[in-house]
Parts: sequence; structure tokens; C-alpha cells
Amino acid sequence: MFRTLSIIAFLVCFAGIAACCIASPCKGCGWRPGQILRRLIHLFTMLFVEQRLSLVGVLRKLVYLLALLCFVVLAVTGFGPRLCLNETISGYWLMLHATFAPIFAICLAVLAVMWASHCRFTGSDWPWLQRLIRRVIGAKTVGEKTACENSGLGQKITFWLIVVIALLLILSIISSMFPFFGTHWQELLLDTHRYSALFLALAVIVHTYLIIRAQMNK
Amino acid sequence: MSVKKRIDRTLRKGLIITGVFCWLVLALSAVAGTDQKKIGDVSDGSLAVPVHLIGLLDGEGDKISPGVEPVLPFSMRQTCSDCHSYEIISRGWHFNAVDVNAVPGRKGQPWIFVDSGTCTQIPLSYRPWPGVFHPAKLGISSFKFTHLFGRHMPGGGVGELDSDDPDDLVRQDVSGKLEINCMSCHSAAPGQDQAEYAGQVARQNFRWAAAAACEFASVKGAAVTQPDTYDPLMDDAIATTYRENTFDHEKKVLFDIVRKAPNERCYFCHSNLDVGKSGSEKWTADEDVHLAAGLTCVDCHRNGLDHNITRGYEGEDLASKNPLAASATCEGCHTEGRLGAPVPQHPGIPPVHFEKLTCTACHSGPWPEQMTYRGKTSRAHALGTHNSNESADALPHIMYPVFAQQADDRIAPHKLIWPAFWATLKEQKVTPIDLNLAKRAVGRNLARAKPRSFGDWPTLTEEHITKALQSLKKTVEGEPVYICGGKLYGLDESGQLRGPQEHPAAQPYLWPIAHNVRPAAQSLGVRRCEDCHSTDGPFFFGEVEIDSPLAAEQVAAKKMVEFQGIAPFYAWAFAFSFVFRPWLKVVALGSCGLIGVVLLLYGLKALACVVKTLVEGD
Repeated sequence: MFRTLSIIAFLVCFAGIAACCIASPCKGCGWRPGQILRRLIHLFTMLFVEQRLSLVGVLRKLVYLLALLCFVVLAVTGFGPRLCLNETISGYWLMLHATFAPIFAICLAVLAVMWASHCRFTGSDWPWLQRLIRRVIGAKTVGEKTACENSGLGQKITFWLIVVIALLLILSIISSMFPFFGTHWQELLLDTHRYSALFLALAVIVHTYLIIRAQMNK
Repeated sequence: MSVKKRIDRTLRKGLIITGVFCWLVLALSAVAGTDQKKIGDVSDGSLAVPVHLIGLLDGEGDKISPGVEPVLPFSMRQTCSDCHSYEIISRGWHFNAVDVNAVPGRKGQPWIFVDSGTCTQIPLSYRPWPGVFHPAKLGISSFKFTHLFGRHMPGGGVGELDSDDPDDLVRQDVSGKLEINCMSCHSAAPGQDQAEYAGQVARQNFRWAAAAACEFASVKGAAVTQPDTYDPLMDDAIATTYRENTFDHEKKVLFDIVRKAPNERCYFCHSNLDVGKSGSEKWTADEDVHLAAGLTCVDCHRNGLDHNITRGYEGEDLASKNPLAASATCEGCHTEGRLGAPVPQHPGIPPVHFEKLTCTACHSGPWPEQMTYRGKTSRAHALGTHNSNESADALPHIMYPVFAQQADDRIAPHKLIWPAFWATLKEQKVTPIDLNLAKRAVGRNLARAKPRSFGDWPTLTEEHITKALQSLKKTVEGEPVYICGGKLYGLDESGQLRGPQEHPAAQPYLWPIAHNVRPAAQSLGVRRCEDCHSTDGPFFFGEVEIDSPLAAEQVAAKKMVEFQGIAPFYAWAFAFSFVFRPWLKVVALGSCGLIGVVLLLYGLKALACVVKTLVEGD
């Protein structure tokens, strides 16, 4: 069940991203060999730490990159055995998974602290919601902002999704390590960990795609 | 065609038809005979135990009367089969080892043939369990097998076979057959003496053993000392005496019989002793938690008329026709709370443990320590008999608990013996040498080996083995080899001992154990994960003693993990990772706390924003 759902979810996610790329390509995107090469180089340069960044900015980027690396390792070790071999994680996979998990947890916590301010929802993110609320409560509309001002709504949503799901993900596995929950609850916690990992993975993929897209459009 | 030929043909046809008709009648009557239920075969529903006031029948089916000569021992087959289907009962688990159609099921405790004179210790069984040897391969006939091990058998099975050795057939006429002794299990009489039964078997008094063991008869004399021409009907060298007042006025005898076998009856064949831990001092050891709770052995190990008793392991239902086989397991009771069994919660135990371990891994046998214990069992060490060797070093040497992978890939506690025997090697196939031949060929060479304690191995040197193998080379076909301590020893082309080799036949024989069960509060893992997951935890890194008569091998040991199908480095690395487990918890909880604070803070800010918008509306 989980395996099938995961495969479908990943396929849908990647198909969605591909469709988005085709339907609304980034600036200067094309399919000529020169353009593809340029895009790949651009993608690669995104891994570099820009000189103009402040110390906090450098730290934020490094933590982000480390979190991304941990995510890849955790996703491969966590989903790999299940999706490729239809086995539960065990052996060296499990040890690798458990080694990178706390680093990922720290990175997420740091990123949550550093990025939360940037990812706050503002009025410009929800003009339609604002209008709706004002209409419902009968308030006068002020500062007529009708269009989204490139607020990165998708990134913000996925960021907060990542933060919330990560909390669930970490708590579900850590609480199973304490002698509080019996076998039934242990199985429930493991299922929670599995499904929240799936949702987190999808959110991270979409979030990363949106960041790359935003960077390339700059 | 001549008239004569016609008559011939008609006669031939008639004969064939008559033959077929007779065969059909016989076959139908045989089928009807086996289906016929006797009065004791089917319960009428009463839970009361019927009083067994019955007449005694001898081996020929004649009633035994007091004062009538010759006084013969009663036959269980004849006496009991008036009311109970002996043939059906004789196919039960305790009697069907020799039945090739009987499903062997999970590996069990073998019979262990021991001879310190030839440094032999070898697991035997008629059941085709991997790792055991068929007695015939060592030249042990069914008669000899009964003589060796009948002491701890309830009779039947191999004891009732016609011996496969013609010489033994004559002796079998003298000794009789070892019929099923129903009283071995079902007697509630305090005078039922299984030690006497064992003594009678040692004297080859198979025919007399059941009578001698019961409380109202005694037997004098020994079949083993009688000539081949001995006839029990003509000669009273082996005399049976029934005690006074045994028979009532109708020449009937009262058997104190219970349907549910008392624990003490099971114990005679199924006792275990922790050598060196509690020693033979029973009062220092705790009994199985189920027995302490008031259950009896047969509350779990149940059977019907067919005596196909449940062994109680998971997966038994695939091998057994007993309808309770699926539910008479740990899980069967403890998931449903049957008989008041507590339903376990296993707080903090990851469910993967239930896939990789049996229940017994954590709950059965003694708490593991750095080195395995040595154990004794009734059947291996003749416990409870008059001549059992009480020395802690008495052979066979059984090690336990060994946490090893069993056939279903799960790890379970096992008992283990290291086979030691003389064999021939042909095309990498090891065949044990007939015991008598081995005794003749190597006995003299090994007699010079320095004895240790009574019943223990003598101390062998490589020189002893070399000389013994050189002697064997003259008498056997193929390459003579000696197996001991998990290694195979043979001679090189120059006739000198070559280095020990690994061989599957040299591997130890392990059988799973289930008792004594410890309560939850004393199970492995109850204190912390490090009960097992530590770099020196006995579960993975305990040492299994390698038992060998060879002096150089006497201090050798193997790590437990080598029996578990796990790479030792992986087991070590995984155990080592538990050092960091508390850090992992702290880091993860700290991260959760930080993320929680961020969510709370920005959640409150969002709430403030919503409230502000609402206030603006007002």
C-alpha cells in the first residue's frame, strides 16, 4: 500500500514539475544544446556561496545545502529499500539513515529559525483572501492591491509545510524510542513516520523546484 | 477348443473372481476395523475421570489370575486396547519417530550416543532432521537403540519394531518388545517408578518393564543374562510378582489413571539442569512462569486420541494435524488472553523485533552471560535413573543458550552439541563408521589418552588422532577422518595429520529451547536496549564454548553472532551506534523544541494578524 502510494505520489510530483517546466518555462530556457548546457552550469553555480552574502546569509545557505544533502541521503536510504526492494529499512541502510537523521533535524530547526521571517505570509500573498474576509465582515477595502507582487507564495507554503511535517516526522520516530508506547502504537508511529516522510519528500522536492525556478528567473 | 481347455478356463476365471472377492472382503473389513471406535476412544462429555478397574491381560491376550502359574507381566497393548485404539495412539508424536510418513516438524532434541572410549558424541534420530544421523548408519539396530535409549521412552515406536539385525531377533524373542507404557504418562500413582522402568530396559526386560514400573508389581531377573533359548512361559528366571491385594474378587486391578498427565510424569523425560548455575540444587532455581502460575505441561501441550501432541512452536500448524497446533503457541494464548495469559504491551520495543526474533529469544532459558552454560537433560544424561552420572563434566556436553537463526530465519535460543565421531570421507561426503568397528580400530590407541574426570572426554592429542586414523585406514574403505570441535581431521599423503578443515558434517547440532519461560519483568530488553545492543552484550557477542576432546581445542569458543546469519562487523557497528542513541534523542527533541517554538511564535503572529483584521472590520 505504502509502496504503491509512494510510487504514484513521486510520479505525479515529477510529472507536475515537468508539465510546469513545459507550460511555463523559465527565462531563457530552451532545448538547444547550448541552452541546456548553460542551464546546467547555472544550476551548478547555485550550489556556490555568493560573495555578496552576509555571514548569516552564508550560514543560511550552507545549512540549506547541508539539509539538502541529508535529505537526499535520508530519502535514498528510507525510500530506496521500500520502493526498489520492497523491504523495510534495515542493516547498513538503517545505520546510514539514523546517522544523517539528527543532522537533518538540526538543519531543519536552524532553517526554520532563519527562514521563518522571510517566509511570513503577508497581505500581498492573499489579496483574494483579504477581500473575502473584508466582504464577510463588511469592512471597507483599503490599499487596493489586486495582483500578487511576486511574493513566492508557493515557496512559503511549502516551507511551512516542511516545518510542520518535519515536526511530525521527528516526533513520531523519537517517541517510539521511549518505553511509552506498546506494539500497536509503535506500528502507528512507524506508519506516521513513513507517510509524513513521503509528504515531506514531496514538499521538499516542490520547494526546491520553486527556489531553483525563482533563481533562474532572476 | 477341447472340453478340457474350456473347463480349465472356466476354473481359472472362477478362481480369479473368488480371489478378487476375498480381497475386497478383507480390505473392507480392515477399513471397517480401523474406523471402529472403542469405548475409551470417544468422550461422552463427562469431565470426571473414569475408574480403571480392569482385568490384566498378558502378551497373548490371556487374563492374568492370581496364583495361576506362570505369573506373566501384563501387556499394555493387550490390557488397554480393549477400550482404547492402540494402533491410533501408536501413531502419536511420542511413538512415531520411526514412521517415515510422520512429518518431522521443527528440529528437536536428538538422542545422543556417547562413548568416551572412542571419543564419540553424536546426535541420532529416526526423524529426518538436518544434522542428525540415522542410527542404522552407525550400526545401531532398532533393538540396540531401544536398549540404549528406551529408558527415557514411553515405549512403542522403535521399541516395537522387529530388529533389523538378525542376531538381535533371537534376543528380541527373549526380551520381548517395548510396548507403549501408557502409565509412563497417565499414572497418578505415587508408586509409578520410571527409574525402575529404565532399569528394566537396561536389563533388556522390555516385556516386563511396564509391569515392573507400576506400583503393584515387581520383577526379578534380567533378560540380558538369559540364553537365546530362554522361554518366559517355561522358565521363571525372570519372575513377575503381583503384590498382595492387587486383584479384587473379580480378578480386576485398580489403575490410578488420569487423563491429563501430571507434570511429574513429563519431568522424567523432560527435565533440564543448569550445570554450574544452580547445579543439581533444584531449590535454588526458579521454575517456568507458567507452572508457577498454576498451569500444567498438558495445558499447552495437548492431544486427542491420536496422541498427536502439540509441540507449541509457531508454524507447527503447517506440519501437524492437531487442530490446536495453530493456537497452542505463545502468540495463541498471549494475544487473546487465554487461560488468563497477560496480553503483552512491549512498550518501546520496535515491531521489527517480532519479525526477527521468536518470543523465546527474550523470554526463555537462563539469562545469557558472556559464556554459554553447560546443561544436562533427562534424555541425554539419563537423569532420574539409578545410575546417572551426577558429575558436572559428564558427557554429552550440551551448551546453551545459543541465540541462533532457525529455519524460519528468526533468532531463537538453542541448545547445542558439537559432534565428535569417526567417519569416512568420500567425494566430500562424510559417513560415520560403524561404532563397533570404530571401537575395535581406535579404542586401543585412545586408551592411552589421559582421562579427565569420570564420564568426561579423555584428553586427546594430535598424536592420538593420527595413530587412530592410521589404524582405521587399514580397516575401512575411503579416507578415514575424525570430526570434533567443529573441524574435520584427516591424514595427508604421507600419513601425517593435516590441518583441521571446515566441513558441514562437523557443524554443531542445535535445537531450539522453549523452557523455562521467564516472566516479562525478567525478559531480555526489559532494562534497556543495551541488554542486547551493546558491543559486549552476550546476545550477539557472548561466547559459545567449542567442546572437543582435543587438548588444543579445549579453550576455543565462537561468537554467538556467527550462528545468527549476521555479519559480525555489522552487529558490532549496530551495537556501537547505541552509544549515540541518547545523543540522537537529545538532538532530535531539541530540534523539535526549536521548530515547535518557531511554529508557535509565527502561529501566534498569524493569529494576531487575523484578530487585527477582524478588529479593523469592527
